[in-house]
Amino acid sequence: MGKYSLALWLCQVLLMPGLKAQIINKVPLSERLTGYDIKVNLDTAARTVAGSLNAYWVNNSGDIVPDIRMHLYMNAFRSNQTTFYMESGNIPDTGPDDPGYIDINSFVDGNNRDLIHSMTYISPDDGNPEDKTVIQVMLNSPAMPGDTVFVKIDFTTKLSSVFRRTGYNDNYYFVAQWFPKFGVYETGLKRNKPQGGWNCHQFHFDSEFYSNHSLYQVSITTPSDYILGTGGLLMSETDSGDGIITRNYRAEDIVDFAWTAWPGYQVFKDQWQNVSITLLTSRDRINQTERQFTAIRHALQYLNDNVGPYPWPYVTIVDPPLKGAGAGGMEYTTLFTSMSSFFVPPWIHLPELVTVHEFGHAYFMGILASNEFEEPWMDEGINSFWEERIMDHFYGKNSGFINNRLLKIPDLAQMRIGYVNSPGRQVTTNAQFSWNYPHNTYYMMSYYKAAVIMKTLTGLVGEETMNNIFREYYKEWAFKNPSGKDFIDIVNKVVINDLGEKFGNDMNWFFDQTLYGTGLCDYRVAGIVNHPNTLRKEKGDSLEMAENFPSDSDSLYTAVAELERSGSVMLPVEVLVHFNDGKEILEQWDGKSRYKDFAYNGDREIEWVKIDPDFKITMDVNYNNNSKTIYPDRKPVRRMTDKLISLIQFFVSIILL
Amino acid sequence: MIIFGSIKSGLYRSLKSWKAILVIWLAFLVIIAGLVLPLRNSLNSAFGSSMISENLADGFDIMAFTDLGPVLRSLTSYLTGGFVFICITAFVINAFLTGGLFHSIGKREGGFLSSEFFSASAKHFWSFLIISILITLFIIFLTGFLILIDVIVAGVSGSLAEKSIFLIMIITVLVLIFLLPVLLLVADYSRAWKVINGNSSAFRALRFGFSETFKRFRKSYLLMFIILLIQTLFGYLVLSVIPLWKPQSSAGLFIFFLVSQGFFILRLFIKSWRYASVTTFMEQNRVE
Repeated sequence: MGKYSLALWLCQVLLMPGLKAQIINKVPLSERLTGYDIKVNLDTAARTVAGSLNAYWVNNSGDIVPDIRMHLYMNAFRSNQTTFYMESGNIPDTGPDDPGYIDINSFVDGNNRDLIHSMTYISPDDGNPEDKTVIQVMLNSPAMPGDTVFVKIDFTTKLSSVFRRTGYNDNYYFVAQWFPKFGVYETGLKRNKPQGGWNCHQFHFDSEFYSNHSLYQVSITTPSDYILGTGGLLMSETDSGDGIITRNYRAEDIVDFAWTAWPGYQVFKDQWQNVSITLLTSRDRINQTERQFTAIRHALQYLNDNVGPYPWPYVTIVDPPLKGAGAGGMEYTTLFTSMSSFFVPPWIHLPELVTVHEFGHAYFMGILASNEFEEPWMDEGINSFWEERIMDHFYGKNSGFINNRLLKIPDLAQMRIGYVNSPGRQVTTNAQFSWNYPHNTYYMMSYYKAAVIMKTLTGLVGEETMNNIFREYYKEWAFKNPSGKDFIDIVNKVVINDLGEKFGNDMNWFFDQTLYGTGLCDYRVAGIVNHPNTLRKEKGDSLEMAENFPSDSDSLYTAVAELERSGSVMLPVEVLVHFNDGKEILEQWDGKSRYKDFAYNGDREIEWVKIDPDFKITMDVNYNNNSKTIYPDRKPVRRMTDKLISLIQFFVSIILL
Repeated sequence: MIIFGSIKSGLYRSLKSWKAILVIWLAFLVIIAGLVLPLRNSLNSAFGSSMISENLADGFDIMAFTDLGPVLRSLTSYLTGGFVFICITAFVINAFLTGGLFHSIGKREGGFLSSEFFSASAKHFWSFLIISILITLFIIFLTGFLILIDVIVAGVSGSLAEKSIFLIMIITVLVLIFLLPVLLLVADYSRAWKVINGNSSAFRALRFGFSETFKRFRKSYLLMFIILLIQTLFGYLVLSVIPLWKPQSSAGLFIFFLVSQGFFILRLFIKSWRYASVTTFMEQNRVE
């Protein structure tokens, strides 16, 4: 191990035929610092996936690296003492009855020298000795800068019956996080770290993953009646004739390879531009196929237009059947799982929403491979933001989530409500590692708050600039591993480019308060005062506003809109002031001071005032106090309560004999 | 023919009892308004002078409510508690007033007298209450049992197709829909008989209710089914109108209130029609 001569490298290439070849895309999309050639057999009786893995890792850093680190994610299901189980709350006695694990049967380097004896389980995050989800393997000789490290591993993965994104149920298999996988070797200064090192975290309950873009060549042997879906393209298949079939897949430049096998899958195909879409679903849900295809076409179109091209010529949607429901709603770049049911009415857009969301991860995680362990907002939050935009764009601004005659809910509402109504909204910042979010705030912070922050940023800089930010982010960081700082640098660059110094030298002030702060944003109209002046308007009166509002009336008022900033977050806001003659003035307030009065002298009275009249500041935690009128309209509440009376009357008369 | 004759006669008797129906309507309006009007005031107070109510002009805006924060939580618990209170109160009041209504329906001669109505209500109150409680409990247990079957099926659904589970759920709902008219027949026969046999106990009335239901099961069931079908169609009409109607002006709101209450009075009328038809059917069978 260690330095490799050209001859040795060529030998390795021969060991992994085709792995370095370029087959799917004309040119490599990524640096391909890692690659895997895997040959496995699915044993449906033993519930195992066993075989061999040839893999490489390129040390593209300037460091001399003495070891490699790999994830063995499936070991999270090995016992009830793993970090995953401990964090899940399933302690102490409710561990898996039918555990999942990876056993390493042999581990050798490119020269066939044994490495298994230098392999140790490590727990870099919590020191839990019972957690075996990360291994460290000391190399026989350190990897020098530019070296490629080859390993060959024979492994057996026992699938768990406890279905959390991966496992089996009856004859249904969803096989994810199933093979030994390299961590990411990060060079110094990445994410403010002083020096380079392996970024290889344990499997946590509240966390997803982080990988280099890789090449995958995967050969899967299964009973021939099983229909497979994978994150790769089918290159060839060999039917042995005795009920066993081997299928060979290839995937390029993706961050994870997952697959599923079930005899009951129905396969449907669709096409969007040059992208072939495959849907694997159950016979029960054939009526849902068009919904799935429509949703993914919308997502492809929207992300292609506003972020960047989808670079692979294929994508596979898996809609797991009821018995595989635990696999639903997860992303593996070119394959993702949706969530549906044959009786979901068309006005509930849940299947579409899940499809759009999970597909979106092909961009925010797949192409822009952020570190989901350490900065989950970059993946889930940004992706949720785009999910909302797509859903509310294609399914109605007010009905992206629910579109019923009686009830309409935009997708934005569920995100904003998830943040605004969370009791933990001020507990921590988005600077946490995913498993460190206290008081069950991981989901709210990573998904909802981050999405609301992005929506608020859109409100400030405008939709076109926001699109430009993401186009630039894509251009700069596609097929790399961006950090949060990298994203913010892009925001700063594009905002300056598009809007000049409208918001200052940069937008750090925005992210410091929102993403990395715990404060709330809340602006309110404290009052409207129309104060009659004791002065009478006389001919030639030079009061400024009187000139602006010429009138025959001789009454004069000092009309004041009294505004307050109740939260600590300071954002510039628009203020719309409406006068009793129907005229309106749109004011700009930098939102910094604790209060602000807009006063007008003239012969008009203020009728109503609205802060942020277009609801651009999505993270304002209370829209209700953003406006005030001197003539409140009680009719909507009256209508609603009259309806309530009527509905209760009918309900009571139905339940009574 | 006896079925349609009973329905026709029931319609006439029910129309004759319009004052009793109005009394019941008023009673329900007062107790439900007692819950909802304070809620209206609280909502008005919570929204204050905000213009967010503009967002409610086109229907329900979930964010306008969730932004109420702790106020919404208070209002929700008030509404939940109040709703349970109303259900219990309405149950008792219904047991009381249906005594008067059955009496009014059963009268061959004379017009509506409030003293008679309330006297009959008081006279049959305890019996009607017991009958109502027992039949309601029966319906609750039956529904619970059917739900339990669905839950068990869903629990072992690993090997079942979605459509099979859905089919089982549909079947259990159909079973419930089939059994409900039977239980309503028992309740109606019991109460009709009780009004005629004034001093008999609730349990004797129930015994009669069960016996009469199954003695003339097919005809009784058909009669009840027809009335319930009319009731269901009417319910569908109401649900198609009330939730979607969005009056914007004060006059529109007033008309909406009148129409919604008109619908409710009609709903009570159809229920009274059911009582009257069952009463007529029972009387005709007794004459035979």
